[in-house]
Amino acid sequence: MTANATLCLATVEFLSKHAPFDTMRAEDLTFIAKRLALAYYPEGHIVLEPEMGAPAYFYIVQRGAIRVDGATSGPSQDTHALLEEGECFPIGAASGDRPTVNRYTAAEDTFCYQLASADFHRLLQQSSEFNRFCTAYLATLLGQTHLNMQQSFQQKALEQQGMAASLSRLIRREPITCPPDTSLAEAFTAMHAARAGSMVITEAGVPIGILTQSDLLPRVLLPNTPLDTPISQVMTPSPFTLSEHATAYDATLAMATRGIRHVLAVDGAGRLRGVISERDLFAMQRVGLRELRQRIEHATDLANLVQAGQDLRQLSYNLLAQGLGPEQLTQFVSAMNDCIVRQVIALTLPKHDLHDIQWCWLAFGSEGREEQTFSTDQDNGLVYLSERPDDEIKPTLLAFAAEVVAGLDQCGFPLCQGHIMASNPDLTLSLEAWQRKFSHWISSPDPKALLAATIFFDLRPLAGDESLAQRLTKHLLQHVSSNTMFQHMLAGNALSSHVPLGLVRDFVTETHQGQSGWLDLKKSGARLFVDPARVLALAHGVAATNTLSRLEQAAPKSGIHPDVLHAMLDAFRFIQLLRLRLQQEPHTEKSRANLLRVDELNPLERRMLKESLQQARRLQSHLKTRYSL
Amino acid sequence: MSTWLKKLAFWRTPSVQLTAIQQDRLARWQALPRAADWEQPFGSARLDIVDVESSGLNLRKDSLIAIGAVSLDRLLLQPTAAFEVVLRQETVSSHENILIHGISGNIQRNGHEPVEALLDFLEFNGKRPLVAYHAFFDEAMLARAMRQYLGFQYQAPWLDLAWLLPALFPEHYGGPVGLDTWLKRFGITVFARHNAISDCLATAQLTRIAIERARKKGIYHAQGLAALENAKRRASRL
Repeated sequence: MTANATLCLATVEFLSKHAPFDTMRAEDLTFIAKRLALAYYPEGHIVLEPEMGAPAYFYIVQRGAIRVDGATSGPSQDTHALLEEGECFPIGAASGDRPTVNRYTAAEDTFCYQLASADFHRLLQQSSEFNRFCTAYLATLLGQTHLNMQQSFQQKALEQQGMAASLSRLIRREPITCPPDTSLAEAFTAMHAARAGSMVITEAGVPIGILTQSDLLPRVLLPNTPLDTPISQVMTPSPFTLSEHATAYDATLAMATRGIRHVLAVDGAGRLRGVISERDLFAMQRVGLRELRQRIEHATDLANLVQAGQDLRQLSYNLLAQGLGPEQLTQFVSAMNDCIVRQVIALTLPKHDLHDIQWCWLAFGSEGREEQTFSTDQDNGLVYLSERPDDEIKPTLLAFAAEVVAGLDQCGFPLCQGHIMASNPDLTLSLEAWQRKFSHWISSPDPKALLAATIFFDLRPLAGDESLAQRLTKHLLQHVSSNTMFQHMLAGNALSSHVPLGLVRDFVTETHQGQSGWLDLKKSGARLFVDPARVLALAHGVAATNTLSRLEQAAPKSGIHPDVLHAMLDAFRFIQLLRLRLQQEPHTEKSRANLLRVDELNPLERRMLKESLQQARRLQSHLKTRYSL
Repeated sequence: MSTWLKKLAFWRTPSVQLTAIQQDRLARWQALPRAADWEQPFGSARLDIVDVESSGLNLRKDSLIAIGAVSLDRLLLQPTAAFEVVLRQETVSSHENILIHGISGNIQRNGHEPVEALLDFLEFNGKRPLVAYHAFFDEAMLARAMRQYLGFQYQAPWLDLAWLLPALFPEHYGGPVGLDTWLKRFGITVFARHNAISDCLATAQLTRIAIERARKKGIYHAQGLAALENAKRRASRL
């Protein structure tokens, strides 16, 4: 069917009053106008939410307003924004074909134009103005991840979704109800309209029955029940109810033991307050951050910790799926991993006599930088200080370290292939021996020393006496900042990784198992930021180990403009996000954990990845200039 | 035959001969059962919102110039679900009239052959619910044209928003008011007022809002709206 010219004209006229459509070519506007359908949402209607999956439509507000609520914060918090006439949503989710992070609710009676997802992607390809608009929007979003962290990554927000939350907090909308004499046709129409999975039959507000979608087949369709049958004849009478003050845990338990999918929350007088479905409980994390933390800290044996380690991985996947930013997520994973490491150490410590030894458990590499992704090996070591002779205490320390390392392995931190673990006698050393080792690497920077620098110079104390680690770091910074030769070599080493961009700015991919088109997001991605950041931090005496912190603190001293710095930080974040997403995919084998198929990116992500790699190139040329390489 | 008898005969038989194909098309429409869209829940039904333009407001003398229709299809307004036609006029309407709907003399003279235009409209609508604002006017203009060109008594049930809106939103207005009053009340802007399609688009948005209120009141289909409209009309007569 062809589109009506007058209707299109009316739509074009509306669009051309609003950005980005006001700058778009006439043919692109016509393209949109021919495909936009106008839908209506009464006040309070949820247009989109994370549970709905990847959005089928891209929306433009025609009249009215849409309230945007952050998913991790309740509607009562003031993190919401209002989208008004001419504004569009959800740009990020539509371009990424991913569920939205936010919930979009009609703030008043609202008309929205909707564009089918496939048409949205065609528009992205054919209109450079529209593409630019979406890219710019996403870039700002990335820039905001830092802010999001303070706002949304708070224990409180996650706790709200814990099992202790009361049902009244889980109720997401007014329940759909009808009186018992309602015909099935009317009931189904209402359920369909409200996209509700269940209909509650009430009398004076008190639930007397329920009919759910799963009842339709056996009770209505198969027995050929006429649609004018009163709903009371097919409903499940006396549905299971819980007080609205009962907890999510109670509801989960009831569903599990009774084999039901819906629990009705009622008030003191037995009146219906809302329907809690199995889906509502699934959408919530099964384990919240604080509970997990408590479970780790109260674990009395390794078995408990192993379970906590598994839950941690599950929780991280959930959080990533719910759109938690890469920075928050890696920090969250790091924080929880730290917690597990400390608890393994605490459980192991009583079995070993270390009472007259000062010791500190060190994390190296990505763990030291707090940039762990899901598949990270152990990288650890021990530094100690004691009056007693070395050969007397070292066996004790090594035995202790070996047990911790084995415990960590059980908790899901695989053993390091390169033996960078405290159980290795070369990595359980006195403070003095460590300092000597560091000085040696700095004064004679052969390739082996430079490789060691990329692991061990990113050290962070995890347990024990932190002052030992601080003294080691201080020693490191003093020696590197006064040794320009070493800096020079380290910079040269950092530049040996090539930015995988060709002359015409397309990707230079590699072949993996006979298949071309792969990009290694660790080697040709994250490392392009991690290595230069280390050089700049060490040269400027910055003690931080986290790449973002290193860049932030070293940039002003290194003459990097704040705007440039922010672009670089965003670029690194984006690459980390891609890595996390990649590793979250279930089929990923370990050898491929960082390999991305460039073809699988959508056009927008391609653009952003290119832009991110451009920033890596910028960082590299900064190093080149600085060290005349 | 006396003049009045001739006149009567004119009302009974078509003044124009339909081709075999045209007769067949008309017969097929007439044989259609009433569309299920009347009883289906709004979420799965199609309602056609209609607006006509004429040479004036005199139901006996004035002629039908244009028909516009926009469908509210499963509660969505889609640019592809619309109907628009200008009927060819032997005599172009008055200058003042043209100023109202903006259909110039040229367009009127080059319009669609009326028989075809009317058959197209019948086929577009099937026998789905028709909605208009002050429906009696659209209904009468269409019926007059159908009688003149197709030679049959066009009878279709209509939903009239002029009655439905005060029945659904008594808090705003108790009885029929002008269309513009309702548009203003709900903040609906009209792209080009008195263009049949554009008026339909605005009226369709009103219809959508009305349906939402109707559902809240337990009315789930077009037939329910018809009953409500009748009740409102009866009540106003008391």
